[in-house]
Formats: sequence, structure tokens, C-alpha cells
Amino acid sequence: MAEKNELRPSKISEFFGSDTFKGLLPFIGLVVILGIMYWLTEGRIMQPKRLRLLLSQVYYPMIVATGVFFVMTLGSIDFTEGSTLGVASIVVSVLSFYSIPLAVLGGILTGAAIGAVNGFFHVRFRLQSFIVTICTMYLFRGVCAYLTTETAIPASAEIKALDSDNLKIAITLGVLIIAFFLFKFTRIGNDVKAVGSGETAARFSGVRTDRVKFLAFVAAGALTGLAAFVNVIKVGSITSTAGNQLETQILISLVLGGLPITGGAKVRFSNIVVGTLMYTVLNNGLVMLGFESATQQLIKGIVFLIFVALTIDRKALKVIK
Amino acid sequence: MEKGKILLNAEHIDKRFGITHAVNDVSLTVSAGEIRALIGENGSGKSTFCQMLCGIYTIGGGTFTLDGQEVHVKNQVEANKLGVSIIVQEMGTLSGLTVAENIFLGHEDPFMHNGIKDTRAMIKEGQRLLDEYGFSGIRAGSMIDSYNFEDRKLVEIVKATYMKPKILIVDETTTALSQNGRLELYKIMDAVRADGRSVIFISHDLNEILTHCDTISILRDGEYIDTVNAKEIDEDGLKRLMVGREIGSAYYRTDYGKAISPEVVLSVKDVTVPNQIYDVSFELHRGEILGFGGLSECGMHEVGKAVFGASLDRKGTVTLADGTQINDIPTAIHHSIAYASKDRDNESIILNESIRNNIVLPSLDDLAENHILKAGKLNRFAQEFADKMQTKMQGIHQFISDLSGGNKQKVVLARWLGKGSDILVLDSPTRGIDVKVKQAIYALMQELTAQGKSIIMISEEIPELLGMSDRILIMKDGKINGEFMRSESLSEEDLIAKMV
Repeated sequence: MAEKNELRPSKISEFFGSDTFKGLLPFIGLVVILGIMYWLTEGRIMQPKRLRLLLSQVYYPMIVATGVFFVMTLGSIDFTEGSTLGVASIVVSVLSFYSIPLAVLGGILTGAAIGAVNGFFHVRFRLQSFIVTICTMYLFRGVCAYLTTETAIPASAEIKALDSDNLKIAITLGVLIIAFFLFKFTRIGNDVKAVGSGETAARFSGVRTDRVKFLAFVAAGALTGLAAFVNVIKVGSITSTAGNQLETQILISLVLGGLPITGGAKVRFSNIVVGTLMYTVLNNGLVMLGFESATQQLIKGIVFLIFVALTIDRKALKVIK
Repeated sequence: MEKGKILLNAEHIDKRFGITHAVNDVSLTVSAGEIRALIGENGSGKSTFCQMLCGIYTIGGGTFTLDGQEVHVKNQVEANKLGVSIIVQEMGTLSGLTVAENIFLGHEDPFMHNGIKDTRAMIKEGQRLLDEYGFSGIRAGSMIDSYNFEDRKLVEIVKATYMKPKILIVDETTTALSQNGRLELYKIMDAVRADGRSVIFISHDLNEILTHCDTISILRDGEYIDTVNAKEIDEDGLKRLMVGREIGSAYYRTDYGKAISPEVVLSVKDVTVPNQIYDVSFELHRGEILGFGGLSECGMHEVGKAVFGASLDRKGTVTLADGTQINDIPTAIHHSIAYASKDRDNESIILNESIRNNIVLPSLDDLAENHILKAGKLNRFAQEFADKMQTKMQGIHQFISDLSGGNKQKVVLARWLGKGSDILVLDSPTRGIDVKVKQAIYALMQELTAQGKSIIMISEEIPELLGMSDRILIMKDGKINGEFMRSESLSEEDLIAKMV
């Protein structure tokens, strides 16, 4: 009997330290943040009008996050999403005057090309991804600013006419479903996770690690390019600030969603969806509550810190590749 | 110190990791002036016991009394101050620091003047110690990274012993050392004993234990079994105590005179890897175990990597019987070559992954139907081969980092059994592995060769080479220096003569 009593508290603490609990934490976080926001805004955040606005802010970050998810599963990081989105949006806008399919393709190829530059320097010269992508972030942010110094770049009326939730939902869902399938049911998912968990051992197990890493960066770029199309539909004209700080938003979203920054075996596909929703709810709630943008940043920073501290896998701590 | 008096008294020491009861109520005493061996299979709790004594793990229960004083060590520096130091199994030096900085890590105070470190005095004192130990080849001012694994172990030995600890723990260090390094270590252990201090020595090499230790304590599944006098027991007796049942003394092959098939399955021609191996050529025959031996820096480990297509910057050719050239790892795996590295935790398995994913990884292309992988199929595959190797685990979804060395190696072999590889390159297959698993691995090797598969076995253990190989190639300074056929009359001395 006495032994049973001793066991009980240890079982509870064991549960809170377990992977099951850590896997549930993002879901709990989403519900808690939604609950707090519902309470603070006296239910306004759940009004249909508000929900539609909220949803409209989810599409393109979710598409971008899907690409970055693969990069972060490798244990790498990509800081170029914002600038890629800017440059690709310019390409989409310009091409939209000729043909819509061409604009979509142009956006994707532009993003893929930037991803290829990142991947090439990361793989070929064995540079850490955060160094490479910080450099290219400045580079392409510069390109974006240069192209938009005179005036904002307008997009064609045809592309703006496409602005409907149905199309955006279809694209976002399409991306999520295809990515989920690749991640869960093909070699690709296994290979990325293997590299994230142990690159050397993955290489010795027959994974073509260099190719996997390169392709992950290309995929992240290409999806950001696709997101640029969705972005152009929504905003209509591109200024130099397009996609500003998108990279930190994506990084925070994925970490809030429970993605370990070390990548590897413990990533879950749900990290993308839960994280992006959580960030958007948090962001919208803070706006609705009338906080100044400086205060908003401060609060987001605190929430982010708490989450990283709770979810990080200390066993697998290492430098980000 | 007075000889024979009790130096360490461990009472009811206990430790759990989750559901694993790693150390279960262990009580034992160590006298002054004694070399005490601690033996047991993988996962028997010997390392955990010692790591609690020197503050690497917190004590789960019970007390350690050192020289009459109860101690609860919080970290290694404190342990050193109390007179306990340890030489660990893994790499125990920090890269990016000089040799001297490593030696005096945590004990920099004597070299500090008003908060400023006197680097010169530290290097001078470090060099004096190295010279005193007879390791003058190591320079105290050089970066530790410029030395190889063995030299770094020697630095660790100096670090652990210069302050004359009351108890020196040597945790499976000898597997990392060459014959010379081992002799140095034995000398130091003898000196500690002569001084009336004590050594706790952990090793899997029973012969070494019987030769160099006074008394032997046996642990099994975390429990204390017995302490025996080394003069009153032999290897078989120890194995019996470790395993808890009778175990055949002959776990090596007993057959001699088996003819080697003339069929060549793999030929290696003029393979050179700069600074590692030079113009290595040999042929591997069907159904043979080809042993590679030599000193640890002779290049034999690189030969394994070269055959597997894993060497960077390799010249020369590795060709299969059908003419396929092996130049990269995916090609090697696709054409039925398997490789188990000496560096198990970094190169053989993905530590932070499940047992299942480790087993299926090389076979994913075979398991996919139209590029689609199904979880059920992967699970069955992993379960089948983990069971075939009798892996001790909670389930295939358990993370491999939880397993003991022997069980990790079983998972490595399970994945290549699953892949159905015909040529297996096994580098130090029984390194740091206990008798029972060793026996299983040797039996498996014989089973595989009987099926016509070929094995390249690279080993630092001479008895293993003699006991298992059909043919032995000895390497020296990156070149093949001698070839021996399996024979009862072949002796350790014959091989050693070609190694040095």
C-alpha cells in the first residue's frame, strides 16, 4: 500500500516530462491562448467577421511554414522567407500582366532559385545554414528594395480579381495535403528526419544527405514563391516592405507549434498547422485588445521564450546546422 | 595510508532511470591498497555505480563513506577534491583547449594571480607531469585536438591521477588503448596500489582483469552478486557469475581447415586514402571471414570505410564480382554491402531515433510500394529483425539512445540482416560488448558465412581475429604487412610481430 502512494506523484511528474505530454502541449497552448483571447475580448474574437479576417491571415504563412518545416526538420534554419516573398511577389506582379499561370510559375521558380542559392552555399561550402541565410536575406531584401525604390509595383487587375477565400483555401489545403503525404508516406520524410537526428549516421545508412539538404532549401524557396502568388492576390501591389519579418513569424509559429529547433525524429506535421493558428490568434488578439505594436512584440517575445523553454529537447541539444 | 583498512564503504546504493532499475541496493567495500575489478554484462550497473560515486549522476539512494566520511558528491570537481577521480569510457577531454588546460580543468586556482591565469606556469607544470609519466611525446602547450584518441586518453590518465586520488576509477578505458598505452595504465594502477590507495577497474576483458586486479566484484542486472579473489577464480567461473548460468568457454569457432571458396566477391585494388592507407589491394572470397588486424592507427578502420564507399578522397578501385564499382555509400548498400562502424553511436546508428526507424532506414527503397511507405509494413519488418537478434527493448518505437552498447549493436546487425546484405564489413563488432552478446554475434557470423555471405572483420582484439577469421591481413602504417591463414598453430605473437 505504502509503495503505491509513493508511486503516484512520480507517475504524474513522469507524465509531465514525457514525450506524449510534450506532443500535446502545442494543442493545449492553442486552446489556452484562444480561451484567454476569447475572455479578454469578451468573445469578439470568435465573431464570424473576425474569424474570416483571422483566416485570411493564415494562408500564406501556412504555405511558407510548410516549406520551412522541412528545413527545420533537418535541424537547419532559413531566414530568407521574408525577402524571398518580396522578390517573388515582384516577379508575380510583373508577370501577371502577361498570363496568370506564367505568374504562378514565375513566383515558384524565383523562390526555388533563391532556395537553391541557399542550399548550394550550405551544402557545397559546408556553411551553417543560419549564416548563409542571414547573408542571403540581406542580399534579396536589397534586391527587393532596389526594385521598389521609385514606386510600388502594381499587379494586374486579373490577378486581383482572383481574390477569394475558396481559391486560397484550396491552395493552402493542397500544399498541406501533398506535403503531409510526402512527409509521412515516402522516403523524403524519413530522410529529412534522419538527417536531423544524426547526419553522419544517416549518411552511413545510405541517405544522400547533401541532396536531401539541398532539396529541402529549394522546396522552402519554391513554397515561399507560391505563397507570394497568394500574397499578391491579397495585397495587389508590392512595396519594399513586402514580407518584412516573415522569417521570424514563421520561426516563432513553428516553435509554438511544438517543432523542436534541433529538428529530427520528434517533429510532427501538426506543428505547422497548430503553430500558424496559434501565432495568428495571438497576433489578432493583441491587435484587438488595442496594444501598441511595441507592446505586442514584447508579449510575443515572452510567449515565445516560455514555449521554447517548455518544449525544447534538452537531450538532443546541439548547434543548429 | 594504512593498507587493508576500509577506504570506501558503499551501503545500499540505488538508482533508477524511469522504469529501469539500474543499480539495485548495492553494498560493497574497497580496502586501501587494492585494485578492485567491477564486472558485469552491459547494463549491469557498474558504470552507473561509479558515476554516482564521482558526481556524474546524483545518488538515488544509500550512502558512500569515503575514508570514514560520508560523501554526497555533486560534481566531478568536488569529487576530485574529496579524492575520487575517474577515467571515462568515452572521450573525456574538451576540444578547443590545450593539453595543459585539459589536465588542470577545474583546478586552475594554483595558476591564478588576481584573477589572471598564468598560462606559462600551467604549461610548464603540465609538461613536467607529462614527462614524469613518460608521455614526453605530448606537448602541454599544444591543442588537444592535434592528438589522436589514444594520446588524449593518456592526457586523461594524467588528469585523473596527478593529484593522487584516494580512489581512481578506470571505466573501460583499455579498449581505447593500444598495447603500449595499456602497459602505461597498468603501471600507474600498480603505483596507486603500492601507495596504499585504491583502483576501481571496469573492463570486459576477463583475462586482463585476472592478470591485473586483486579482487573482483560482480554485478548482474543492477544487483550485487559477489566479490571474489582474483587468484581463486578463472575466466569460466567469472562468466558463470556474470551470466548466472553455465556458459560455454569456447565461443569462438572450433573448426579448422575449411577450404576458402575460389569465388571472389569483392576485389580492392590499389586503394589509397591520403594520410590513412596506401596501395591496399586484396580480394574477398565467398563465405569467408577475412580478419583485419593491427595497431589502432594502422589504417585498418579506414579500409572498412573505403570498401563501403564512405572514404572521402579515395583513389583506387573497389569492384564487385559483377563489375560494379563502389564509390559511394548508396551504391554500396544497394549492391548488398553492409557496414557496422567502430564509432557505433555516431556512424552506425542514429541515436535520437527510434529502433524501428534505425532498422528500416537502409531498406526503405525495398519496403516502398510505388514509392509509398506503409507504417504497418515498416513496423512488422523492424519487429521481425529486432526479434531475430533478440534485442532487449520495450518496443520498436523506443529510442535507441536508451539501449546498452550490446543492444545497440544488435539493432545495427538487425538492420543489415533485414537488408539481406551479402558482404558485411564489421569494424570492431564486439567492442565494449559483454560475453553473452559477443557469443550471439559470433554465432551469427558463422551462420551468415554458412549461407555463403562474406565478412570483413576489423578487430583490435587478437584472440577474436585468431578465433573467428578464415584469413587474417595485418596492417602496419597504412599498408598490408602480412597475411595468415586460419590455423591452430597460429599464435598471438605471430600476429604481433607483423603489427609493430
